[in-house]
Amino acid sequence: MIPLKDMPSWGNLRPARARVFSPSWKPSSLPGPGPFLPYGLGKSYGDSCLLDAGTMIETRFLDRIRSFNPSSGLLRAQAGISLDAILRFSVPRGWFLPTTPGTALVTLGGAMANDVHGKNHHRAGCLGNHIPAFELLRSDGSLLTCRAGDPMHAATLGGLGLTGLITEADIQLVPIQSAFLDVELIRFNGLDEFLALSAESSTPWEHTVAWIDCVAGGTSLGRGIFIRGNWSDQGKLIVHRPARLSIPLNLPSATLNRLSVTAFNTLYYRRFLGKSKTLHQHYAPFFYPLDSLHQWNRIYGKRGFYQYQCLIPPAAGTQPMELILKKIAASGQASFLAVLKTFGNLPSPGMLSFPAPGITLALDFPERGQRTRELFANLDSIVRDAGGHLYPAKDARMNPEDFQTFYPMLDTFRPYLDPAFSSNFWQRMHPHAAASSRPT
Amino acid sequence: MSHPTYQAAVFGATSTICVESLRAMLLHRPARILLIGRNPEKLAVVADDLRCRGAQCLTHAVPLDDCTTDWNQLLEVSSNGQPWDLFLIAHGSLPDQELTLTDGAAIAQSLTTNFTSAAVIAAACAAILDRQNHGALAVFSSVAGDRGRASNFLYGAAKAGIDTFLAGLRHRFAGRPAIKIITLKPGMTDTPMTAHLPHGPLFSSAQRVGSLAWLAISKGSSVAYLPAWWHILMTIIRLLPNKLFHRTRL
Repeated sequence: MIPLKDMPSWGNLRPARARVFSPSWKPSSLPGPGPFLPYGLGKSYGDSCLLDAGTMIETRFLDRIRSFNPSSGLLRAQAGISLDAILRFSVPRGWFLPTTPGTALVTLGGAMANDVHGKNHHRAGCLGNHIPAFELLRSDGSLLTCRAGDPMHAATLGGLGLTGLITEADIQLVPIQSAFLDVELIRFNGLDEFLALSAESSTPWEHTVAWIDCVAGGTSLGRGIFIRGNWSDQGKLIVHRPARLSIPLNLPSATLNRLSVTAFNTLYYRRFLGKSKTLHQHYAPFFYPLDSLHQWNRIYGKRGFYQYQCLIPPAAGTQPMELILKKIAASGQASFLAVLKTFGNLPSPGMLSFPAPGITLALDFPERGQRTRELFANLDSIVRDAGGHLYPAKDARMNPEDFQTFYPMLDTFRPYLDPAFSSNFWQRMHPHAAASSRPT
Repeated sequence: MSHPTYQAAVFGATSTICVESLRAMLLHRPARILLIGRNPEKLAVVADDLRCRGAQCLTHAVPLDDCTTDWNQLLEVSSNGQPWDLFLIAHGSLPDQELTLTDGAAIAQSLTTNFTSAAVIAAACAAILDRQNHGALAVFSSVAGDRGRASNFLYGAAKAGIDTFLAGLRHRFAGRPAIKIITLKPGMTDTPMTAHLPHGPLFSSAQRVGSLAWLAISKGSSVAYLPAWWHILMTIIRLLPNKLFHRTRL
């Protein structure tokens, strides 16, 4: 008997009510008729990791390492292992993830299903570029081995968990000499300076990203801090510590207001004197600054929040991004977590992978109802006109028509869907399909 | 006594908290581990995981609640001629109490799994520790054993039995500091066994509980609540007068 449970996603907008199947051993088949959706650690922001009235397969107990080659760095693990757990294993042995998102508190399977990217995208591409093979359990009971080059490999990486349950995967780790990075922080003012820093840094720096102030208007519009880092050869192979601090309950939604966010951003922008600063920094604050604050999403209160992440291709120039920043600043709705990154040219492995050449902007917005949706509609039209697209892993409100345009490989992808798998996101993107039958 | 490799035998080796305890142990020292459990395939998966983390693993599949098993002999032949440093007993299962209480055989089975078999194994291990005059016996009990509560007194009674059994062994070995008897009392832990329950703020991750369990084992603690604040909470619950306690729904 499988109990019904409320399952949240990271944005806390609305949980899904679903049967939850929590296998502790690799299942040989899935229980019941479906629909199914794998669920890792629930860090997708919107509804791509949720499925109402279905069976969510909670994978986090499938966390064993199957094999590790200490000379090549090839790790095989069950897909419910977290990136955090991989690092606790690999860092003391001198290995790191080939690329990593801004949190390690996600499962390997979830990271693959969203084909996540990191600060080294311009060098390493997406996570999927480093997954030579994996095993996929389909609802008909078949267990497929998918290798790089197979269409099912390309469908599953970035496939939002809709092609079946990833049970085990190979991941190629990269060697490190130390757990520390040599980091440089540089203040910039405006998109042009950001782009110049990105261009100048892409060859000598392995990791680049920028924090941008989306609240300041006027002459401060587009001010930010460019962050670049290279692995150091100085320092010990010390593993990060688990989170000590936690937000124990949802904060009142008034916590985040224009005043508090402006104060935070100004302090953050002014956190060092002069134009730049160098530091020798452990990988945890460099890659995972928020992992030390458990359940930070509760800062946004019980109404929850959205993350808006878009990509603007280089052909569109800088004007669309300027316009997006202006609109956001004028709206006064942005929060302090805004990230800007220039992607590289390495082709993404997945049919539905988000990264592509261009600039990506990601930032959080507390749910404020109509006002928030109107702002998003404005931003959407800029993204649409620029030939850009949005990231399903972060999405809770994209237009279905936009999704069709943003992801031209959708028709190639559809034949690889598992007929018994679905998600709230997928159903929302296919409003005309009958609720009970699979959208095809 | 000095010997090259830390040697442990683990009963119920596929339990989540147990695996986390062994992973924590392997962060500190390599070890030779005998993994004992019911299911050979599951034991093999756990053994592979621990091998990658630096353990030398042997597996032995046997029903743990078969009280006629000659544990002494099994441990003797698997000892590799070296003393045992640690016996860890971790098997158990949380019964659906309401369902179980209507069926005498099911009650007996639950008590066998959660108490009798653990006592049988603990007695065999204690005899070996006595002979070796060295080593630790650590058993996973539970905070559920601290006071009978309406929602889980069947499980709690078995765990209370284990607590008393271990307290007796500890008394017997008092004055022999090379022998440690360790009662590990996890509170609510996020494992597959509790996946169906709603998870409140009192839940701890299996990884946290496992690393605290290893800490208690390496320190040779007598009774360790995992995490330690459960000691305070359970002391309050134990001391509540019936008049008050009976008004709660725990």
